[in-house]
Amino acid sequence: MTANLRLWVTLVSASLLHAATATAQPAPLEPAAEPAVPAAPVDPVPDTQTPPPVAEPAVPVAPSDPTLDSAADPSLDRGGFGPRIMVEAVEVVGNVSTDVEIIRRALPISPGDTLAAGDPKLRNARFKVLALGYFRDVQLSLRRGSDRGNVILRVEVRERGTISLNRLWFGASSITRGWFGADISERNLFGTGITVGGGVLFADTEAALLGGRNQWATELRIGASNLRGSHWGVLTSIAQAQGAEAYRIAGDGSDSTLSEFQAFPYRRTEVRAAATYDLSSLTRLTLGGAGEFFDATLPVTPTRTLPDGRLAAIDLQLDNGWSRNVTLSVGFDRDTRTDAILPHAGSRIGALATLGSSLVGGDYNFASILGRYEHWWSVSRRATIGLRANGGVIVGRAPRFDQIHVADLNRMTPPRAMGLSVSALPAVSLLPTRLEKPVYGDIGGSVAVEYAWSVFRSGSKRVYGGDLFIGAGLWGLADAEALRTRDSSFWRAMPVDIFLDAGMRIDTDIGAFEFTIANLLGRLPL
Amino acid sequence: MNARLGRLAAVALVGCIMVATTYSAAWADDDEDAPIATKMRFVERGTDLTASANVTSLFDGATYNNLENGFPSTVVIRLWVYPRGQTDAVSFALLRRRLVYDLWDEVYVVRLEEPGGAREVRVKYKAEALKLLTTIDGIAIAPLKTIPYEAQYQLAVVAELNPVSKETLAEARRWLSQGTGGGMERGGSFFGSFVSVFVNLKIPEADRVLRLRSQPFFRPKPKK
Repeated sequence: MTANLRLWVTLVSASLLHAATATAQPAPLEPAAEPAVPAAPVDPVPDTQTPPPVAEPAVPVAPSDPTLDSAADPSLDRGGFGPRIMVEAVEVVGNVSTDVEIIRRALPISPGDTLAAGDPKLRNARFKVLALGYFRDVQLSLRRGSDRGNVILRVEVRERGTISLNRLWFGASSITRGWFGADISERNLFGTGITVGGGVLFADTEAALLGGRNQWATELRIGASNLRGSHWGVLTSIAQAQGAEAYRIAGDGSDSTLSEFQAFPYRRTEVRAAATYDLSSLTRLTLGGAGEFFDATLPVTPTRTLPDGRLAAIDLQLDNGWSRNVTLSVGFDRDTRTDAILPHAGSRIGALATLGSSLVGGDYNFASILGRYEHWWSVSRRATIGLRANGGVIVGRAPRFDQIHVADLNRMTPPRAMGLSVSALPAVSLLPTRLEKPVYGDIGGSVAVEYAWSVFRSGSKRVYGGDLFIGAGLWGLADAEALRTRDSSFWRAMPVDIFLDAGMRIDTDIGAFEFTIANLLGRLPL
Repeated sequence: MNARLGRLAAVALVGCIMVATTYSAAWADDDEDAPIATKMRFVERGTDLTASANVTSLFDGATYNNLENGFPSTVVIRLWVYPRGQTDAVSFALLRRRLVYDLWDEVYVVRLEEPGGAREVRVKYKAEALKLLTTIDGIAIAPLKTIPYEAQYQLAVVAELNPVSKETLAEARRWLSQGTGGGMERGGSFFGSFVSVFVNLKIPEADRVLRLRSQPFFRPKPKK
């Protein structure tokens, strides 16, 4: 019934079409100044000069015309237009809390630079300052300097609130009566450009859960993305959690009945530090290190009663008592999407390689590589197709919390909240593959295709735009050892399935909201 | 059973909210994106069809005054000719005008890039500069051979003031996608497919955009 309900709701989708029609009466051409020549047969111009075909509006619009993209047409950014000027000084006004030096460093122009007055660098300077994220508006102007050809660059800023609510967590499940939490950041601490943030989460665990207890987690972060205007940045964080990790002790794995689960208590403290380097404005490299300390009280012999009555041993993937996990990592990220919230073009690619070893003081020896890729194609003025792929492999014995979780791959499964497991809802089985999918695995990935329909783009300062979308994907997650020792055919044992999702994303002044079927499923106590 | 019905009702409610939001937003969008019907002038010159119009309303008081702030201003005008009632254009033309105020010589330097080539003009007064930026004066918009006699056509014009390249936009909004963990992603946050950013600054793709649509027109057959 549960599976049927979730399948039914994923099939809900909506789309709207509207049409505009011209109503004016035709008018003949004015008499020609020169005699008109006889018309030749229609000879449509090449496609490169026509806008993308659109379904509804009577006026064709091609905002993605490649001839105007600076990357495609270098002439757009060609300097040499207008008189030569020398920047004598940079004057910053309007900043109350932000340090002047932070603004000066963001500018691509410094005192002493000589350039053409029409140089695109001048126009782009505004966006460099806006990209700091500290200002609601930035206006630049020039005025005469002390000598002919000298100018003074004036930067006028209007500061904005830099406290942001990054995430909210809330919901309920069969093992948690309710969970709620928030993550908040101050992106410009005392005007220094330093980001300080943190999150708190509390989960009220069902009293009837064997071994269960209430869970909570906290995290504190501090970082600076461009140290003194350089390409380097630093980030550190400390997190603390008291959890009760639920695991299945009975049942066939198709539902989340409370009596079929037990939990083990643990404490977890994590310290992380990372250095970032911007290889380009859209590409970032990250080098990091982390130390995690676990204090877990595990059952002496954790077992599960299978549906046929046999007992099977369970590997909880954590050492009993105190243990530590020390890792080094390197990450890469390149993001060329035109919009992080409602993308309609561009791509994002990322990879993260992690090594945990006793050589650096840890109790767990493993290596992992995680990767992700997404690409968006605009197929018409309003329609976009997106491809998302991600996956990873872990070699060795990684602690439970560093394994790939089913919710990382399958949107229809409730995600972890600040690293805590708050739901035991199993993944829906839609394919005739293995009925019970693992919750954690060391090899997994997903590929999804999404079709998005731009419902509106607003000139309003409050609601920027909204997209309806529908998507489907194939995902798989396995414990490599369990797959090797299977007792059925490879296809039946393969933990592979599909997921579906549909909903609406809205981009607003106060944040991005996602109303989707999968999101809803993850918050209901199913 | 009641609990399941409750969940079903909740899902249905969310579905209704989605559809209602979509419908009302799309309705509002129609007004903002709708082109303004404008009377334009069409003349056959040689082998081309030419059009005359202006996009002066692309500027308001503030952007007009900004012309003298010493910073470059760019106006990009795209023109499409398409059969009435259809959406596939038969011809496209692109115009680009750039302006900068020379603070020392106190003249406006305007660079006009049109299908026939590029030229640079210097004018003394701001109003003259505005006219150069926004006037479409006898611009060739289509070869006559693509416009059969008696068939009805329309011209669509989209003018943008200071359009921003997609690369610059992506760079400016990058901080939105850096997530809460910065470079310290792990597990779910690394695979996370969607950001939830609050207090969200949107950088527009251009300072201002103007959309115009001409009256329908046709080429009368020449009298014998």
